Amino acid sequence: MSPRRHLPTRRDLSRRGFLGTSALLALGACTGCGDGTDLIPAWGFDFGGWDTGRDPEVAGPFDVPAAQKIDLVRHVAGRVSFGLRPDDYGRIRGLGATQEDAARAFLEEQLAPESIEDESARLIVRRLETLDEPVGMLFEFQPDLLLRELSRGALLRAVYSRRQLFEVMVSFWTDHFNIDVSKGDCRWLKTADDRDVVRAHALGSFPELLRASATSPAMLWYLDGRTNRRRTPDERPNENYARELLELHTLGVDGGYTQQDVMEVARCLTGWTVRSEEKFFKGRVEFRPDEHDNGAKTVLGHRIPSGLGRRDLDRVLDLVALHPSTARFLATKLCRRFIATPPPTNAVDVVAQAFLDSRGDIRSTLRALFQTPEFFDEHSRYRGNRLKRPFHFVVSALRTTGAQTRADDRLLDYLLSMGQAPFQHPTPDGYPEEETPWLGTLVWRWKFAVALAENRIPDVSLRIESLLREFGDLEDLARHVLGRQPTAAERSGILRSASRGPQALALLVASPAFQRF
Amino acid sequence: MGQVHAPQPTGPNTPKVHVSGDGDQEKTLVVIFLRGGADGLTLVPPVADDGYHRARPLLGIDTNEGHRLDDLFALHPHLGALRPLFDEGRFGVIHAAGSDDHTRSHFSAQDLMEHGGEGVGGGWLGRYLRYGAGQDAGGGVQASALSAVALGKTLPESLRSAPSAVVMEDFDSLALGQDSYATALLLHEIELLYGLETGELGHASRSAVSALRRIEDLRGRPYVPSGGAEYPKGEFGRGLREIARMIKARVGLEAATLDLNGWDSHLTQSALLAPLLRNLGDGLAAFADDLGPQLATTQVVVMTEFGRRVHENASFGTDHGRGSVMLTLGGACDALPSLGGHVTADWPGLDGSVLEGPGDLPVVHDYRDVLTPILHWHSGSTDDAPLPRVFPDHDPQPVWRRRHSPS
Repeated sequence: MSPRRHLPTRRDLSRRGFLGTSALLALGACTGCGDGTDLIPAWGFDFGGWDTGRDPEVAGPFDVPAAQKIDLVRHVAGRVSFGLRPDDYGRIRGLGATQEDAARAFLEEQLAPESIEDESARLIVRRLETLDEPVGMLFEFQPDLLLRELSRGALLRAVYSRRQLFEVMVSFWTDHFNIDVSKGDCRWLKTADDRDVVRAHALGSFPELLRASATSPAMLWYLDGRTNRRRTPDERPNENYARELLELHTLGVDGGYTQQDVMEVARCLTGWTVRSEEKFFKGRVEFRPDEHDNGAKTVLGHRIPSGLGRRDLDRVLDLVALHPSTARFLATKLCRRFIATPPPTNAVDVVAQAFLDSRGDIRSTLRALFQTPEFFDEHSRYRGNRLKRPFHFVVSALRTTGAQTRADDRLLDYLLSMGQAPFQHPTPDGYPEEETPWLGTLVWRWKFAVALAENRIPDVSLRIESLLREFGDLEDLARHVLGRQPTAAERSGILRSASRGPQALALLVASPAFQRF
Repeated sequence: MGQVHAPQPTGPNTPKVHVSGDGDQEKTLVVIFLRGGADGLTLVPPVADDGYHRARPLLGIDTNEGHRLDDLFALHPHLGALRPLFDEGRFGVIHAAGSDDHTRSHFSAQDLMEHGGEGVGGGWLGRYLRYGAGQDAGGGVQASALSAVALGKTLPESLRSAPSAVVMEDFDSLALGQDSYATALLLHEIELLYGLETGELGHASRSAVSALRRIEDLRGRPYVPSGGAEYPKGEFGRGLREIARMIKARVGLEAATLDLNGWDSHLTQSALLAPLLRNLGDGLAAFADDLGPQLATTQVVVMTEFGRRVHENASFGTDHGRGSVMLTLGGACDALPSLGGHVTADWPGLDGSVLEGPGDLPVVHDYRDVLTPILHWHSGSTDDAPLPRVFPDHDPQPVWRRRHSPS
């Protein structure tokens, strides 16, 4: 790791005068009922044997963004993560001599998650034992427990993992290959899908990811593939998976396929099913030749000869995984996530081409995206303009404040209230990336901000005194949370709130700027 | 086979119109689930059916005991508080109602009824709130923050997949912060910052601020129900009271759920059910009194996973059966007159020949046939078309137009 690099301008006192010592003292004086910092018991939070692997103290001093607008390092780090921890900005800025060098070095680091030491996150999640259970064993557990551990795992990894881009991509593919746990055996099988499909391939090869999803027992349940069979000429294949494969997983709705293609793909996939009755081998995926339509098919203009049996699946996936429409569809979604909504077309073109050139290598595709001028966005057209979805908001609030959490029920309840409970989106399109569906969540975002700042969320622990002490003053804390200097309005709001305990922090987390990234 | 339907391709986003935070136009649906399998033959006994008295020599309600509703049915004596509402046409009964579930298992039957079908993701109420009643409605509905509330400690399966679902135990848990004074100041600061936002976020913030202001206004003041309403003590009465409070506070509440547990009356049924029946009848009557004119924009539906065996068992109880009752109370009865002031039932009778399986009242009216017109009413239409996104693969029969034909 590079040595900490202090930016000379940061300690320019004339710039820091607004929210100096007096505000800090006022804040400290109000959090308890006497002399401030000592009143709150030192780290008075029982993790019940959970070793979070992190020093619970937020240890400064911290470098914070100094510019009036969001600078490049902060912009890039915010886009490829679930928010910056107190020490992130200084560390990332120190990765290069210039902002651009630092940003590029950070992106390369994140594109190679296997080289990022992440033992503490691994230890935290290790307690969630069902996450490691093989498919067949999952049926031994209550579905409620499985969903809870799965959801907690998603939250804890997003909060604690240093492999932030990886976790962002896990969230991206979780929506792309959405499975709602409330359908059928998905309540048991999604745990395996999360591990063996999404996490196994999140930064790998798209064709391999697609193939894993196509033969995932949870997906065979969720989109009815398990009932797609043709034992007699009269039996009609179930088209559900075939349609979503083309519409949502690969080509996209305007990708140039026809209803005839959907029906032909469904025929190709007949016979793939998942055992659901017997006690043993429950959840096992298998191909039943007697339920397969072994005639010739034509998919997207390509003839698939008769008699291929289970190899029909390979043919279909070969045709769609690297189809130009798939490249365009995925590039559009990636650019939406990482650049802007609607995504700039120049960037989409570049990213789609990189996807094809690399034969669907997800890292190469992302690297190309990160190299587009639209991503770095020198003219600040897109910086700070993407609305965080509720999961992102909650995780970023925890990361930003250095709060500790076990991600227990209360935290999940907040996500439920904001409409983004993990793994519970009912339709196969996944939680939307657009703004409009999330605009009704402000009440709960604000309630969360207040409860977090007042340290009132069970299983979450935030020490506002040490946060302030380590940042030095409110101005620096504000710069860290907002990613830039506070505006005049923000600054006066924070100043007025500073005299009322943790409200200044609540206001920062509730502010419009913190809803965006 | 159930299909998970993908939303229509996203063209222009057409969110459902909400008046969140200023919910004068809002209609509220209240879904009460009687968990454990409530005995429809006790709630609304067919006192003029001889078969009933033959099957229930000890547990049956005497012909003169209940509150007679028509030439066949009576209300249980403990539900007497609902009688005036029945006469006014605001309370109604659908008898021999239930679901397709033949397992007679609490878990399976509740699961099926709350999900609203097999092989479909989410719950029926959640899907309705997300997609509306329109057949072509796309995804991406913008819900107000308090559009769906589950009173209690856990989210019922019916609300899964709602665009927003809040689990809460009382009105106060909606407040922004604990200290009213500090909360008001903070809300002011939040309002100032969002006031500088020109886009949709700024617009959305205004309804959020006003909803929180109204909550703040009402919180702290002791709640005095209107119309002299007295809620029964306990969780159920309190839950109804909090729902009434939210409706009156116009926080944009579209749907609320509340459970009344303990109906699994295998033994000493009469003693077991008496307090539950009083709770239910007195609670609903108090709710109606409290809401007053606002009952016109509120609709309560009471449902249960299954009814009970027609013949009483040897322990003075009844075992798991099939058909039960659904109860309706509220404003939908104005638009759907036969919902109120009637017992709707294609009454099959209780002869051995019509009973199902081990001797159960068959399900004549599918619960979805009752819910479909109510959801249409809630969404402001008078349609009675199927709701494929809410109840996939179900073609509703217009139950609300059918009346019982006395034997």
